[in-house]
Amino acid sequence: MDFSFTEEQDMLRTLARGFLAEQCPKARVRDMDRDEKGFDPHLWRSMAELGWLGLVLPEEYGGMGGSFIDLAVLMEEMGRNIVPGPFFSTMAFGALPLLEYGSSEQRSRFLPPVARGEAIWTLALAESSGSCKASEVRLRAVAEGSSHALYGDKLFVAGAHIADYMLVAARTGEGAGPEDGVTLFVVEAGQPGMKIEAIPTMGGDRQYRVSFEGAAVSAGCILGELGQGWVVVEFALQRAAVLKAAEMSGACQAVLDMSSAYARERVQFDRPIGSFQAIQHKLADMLIDVEAVQYLVYQAAWGISSGSPSPWQISAAKAKANEAYQRVCIDGISTHGAIGYTMDHDIGLYYRRVKAAEFTAGDTDFHREVIATELGL
Amino acid sequence: MDFGLSEKELALKEEIRRFAQAELPADWRRTTLIDWECPDFEFEMSISRKLAQKGWLVMSWPEEYGGRGASVMEQTIYEMELAYWGIPGAWMGISGTQWVGPCLMLFGTEQQRRQHLPLIASGDKDGVWCTCYSEPNAGSDFANLQTRAVRDGDDYVINGQKVWTSAAHRSRWCWLAARTDPNAAKKHRGISIFIVDMTSPGVTVNPILNYYGRHHFNEVFFDNVRVPASDLVGEENKGWYHLMQALVFERRSMAPTTYGGFKRLLEELVEYATHTEHQGQPLSQNPAVRARLADLAVELEVLKMFAFQLAWCISQGQIPAYESSRNKIASDEAMKRMALIGAELLGIYSQVDPDSEWAKLRGAIQGAYLGFPGHAIAAGTAEIEKSIMAQFKLGLPKSY
Repeated sequence: MDFSFTEEQDMLRTLARGFLAEQCPKARVRDMDRDEKGFDPHLWRSMAELGWLGLVLPEEYGGMGGSFIDLAVLMEEMGRNIVPGPFFSTMAFGALPLLEYGSSEQRSRFLPPVARGEAIWTLALAESSGSCKASEVRLRAVAEGSSHALYGDKLFVAGAHIADYMLVAARTGEGAGPEDGVTLFVVEAGQPGMKIEAIPTMGGDRQYRVSFEGAAVSAGCILGELGQGWVVVEFALQRAAVLKAAEMSGACQAVLDMSSAYARERVQFDRPIGSFQAIQHKLADMLIDVEAVQYLVYQAAWGISSGSPSPWQISAAKAKANEAYQRVCIDGISTHGAIGYTMDHDIGLYYRRVKAAEFTAGDTDFHREVIATELGL
Repeated sequence: MDFGLSEKELALKEEIRRFAQAELPADWRRTTLIDWECPDFEFEMSISRKLAQKGWLVMSWPEEYGGRGASVMEQTIYEMELAYWGIPGAWMGISGTQWVGPCLMLFGTEQQRRQHLPLIASGDKDGVWCTCYSEPNAGSDFANLQTRAVRDGDDYVINGQKVWTSAAHRSRWCWLAARTDPNAAKKHRGISIFIVDMTSPGVTVNPILNYYGRHHFNEVFFDNVRVPASDLVGEENKGWYHLMQALVFERRSMAPTTYGGFKRLLEELVEYATHTEHQGQPLSQNPAVRARLADLAVELEVLKMFAFQLAWCISQGQIPAYESSRNKIASDEAMKRMALIGAELLGIYSQVDPDSEWAKLRGAIQGAYLGFPGHAIAAGTAEIEKSIMAQFKLGLPKSY
């Protein structure tokens, strides 16, 4: 067993921390909250120049050939800085599933632009129930010759306004189980027959309803097999769960750091409030939560990286992150007192993003159910 | 990073499984899972000797002292498996194997090592130790201990009272903290450690029954007990620093053992939920039950990672500052959740006496339910451990 990062991973972390602190300070995060697009193309280009968009892609596609653990390290640093933008979705719903399930033609067409920072990807999965279960996929795909036309609504599609491509889970048939007959289409955004409408969220991230009214998808744009797309969705959701949990892990650490720093500095009754056990014990509980998330994320990322992903470990990481991120933020705010409730303080930026993170790539109930099944229940 | 077990580690796991199946009765009771205590002392010691013969009892010790130089990681896996299978015999002499032995290797005299290490390693009754730390006025404020050791010629003379001493009624030897300098500037500076023969004149052991009638701990009185000066461990008045080391050893083994017992209990609850009908369907189909058991599985996973992470730190030569406190709290919290959720699943049967024929899962859940509040206090309360974490990891002022 080995709990250490490689030297390269340590360097990546140091570099990312410094770069993001400089290029994406909280003032910029706040600007993006108010920005029409919620996205900084300049920052995106810089990330591409650093090679981050091709971090896990092989060199033949212009990537760096890094591991999934490398990507998790980077996501932790993004989470620490709550970096806005489509990095997560482009990795989880573009680079990784394309690399695994794309035909060689799809890979050479779609992956190099991802590595160059010229293509933004996202996933359109949830419908009216908001669930990411196969049984909820109802959007219809009607065959028209060798292509398909899509009819129906997708909800909570992240970054639909800036995405170049969308993975859209649609129903092309019925079968024995709800997974059968789901097809995953690569849809070029902004084409006729598609409409988007913003769903305002408290996190200030950008999520949308995407309505399909006959948008056309050509035959070469099915990822995986016709009617057997659920296996691709599952693959992507598992990786997305770990990457999102890594991002939440970084965010939790940042909230703990700012809260313990505040407890050391803030003086009441002539002493730092961090000398009171009521504060200390709250912070110790936060620390246990933070480290629990970290080690579960590392374990799950290692499983994926070493080629034996464990659904149990992946779901444990995301379920724990969902619970811990919320609790750490709430206790962090209460440690700060009234200042933590203000627009001026950074801690609220983290708290407002809790729910968006929780419902990305499986909420707690979803992951509990995965674990229950793994337990043999 | 690598979170897999090596072939050697997997083989050890398998060997312990075979040992458990060969040596334990098929209907082996749950008590050892929770109390680390077996109602049949003779049987327990017979297993202890077998563990010693396997080279497992003190596996991480060097060969010259009866161990086999196993890694901290192997030791951790061994503890997880022992607890999982409920193997008795490793816990009665836990003071000896887990901290007395390792401490004697660090700061004992050659004579102390030669006399005691082989005895502890043998798994015999004469190698069973207890630990006398707490006193009526020295609980969390352990440095406040009042038991006196006064030098008199070639001996020290011990007077005082200890309390909550686990296994004192089974022990041949005692690892004793006593005050040697009552005038030291700070109270933790005047403390020393002694090896005391429990058969010495003046030693009295009185049982204390816990609230469910088990005899696990005791009060121990020392009335002019003479201890040869050669049984002073380490330096006089430096005992506090030695004790901090001993507590690191003690707290390390908590997460692995809790993990093993917890894993077994979770599996038993899954089995129970699958085979128990409630309102016309198996409990296992009830969404609330599924969610609760899944939550326990997440806690189990956290405990495993914490246990391995601490073992890994130690294996890298690091001195853990707060990790053992973290693991202690996580273990206690996990066991509490297990007990409460387990009791919820048993429903009305959760009240049945664990020793009764009526008890579900051979009383395992009631054992956890009755046991967890006590286990959470032993070796440091959550309040003390959290204050330690705040001080040593988060850089907050000392608050106690």
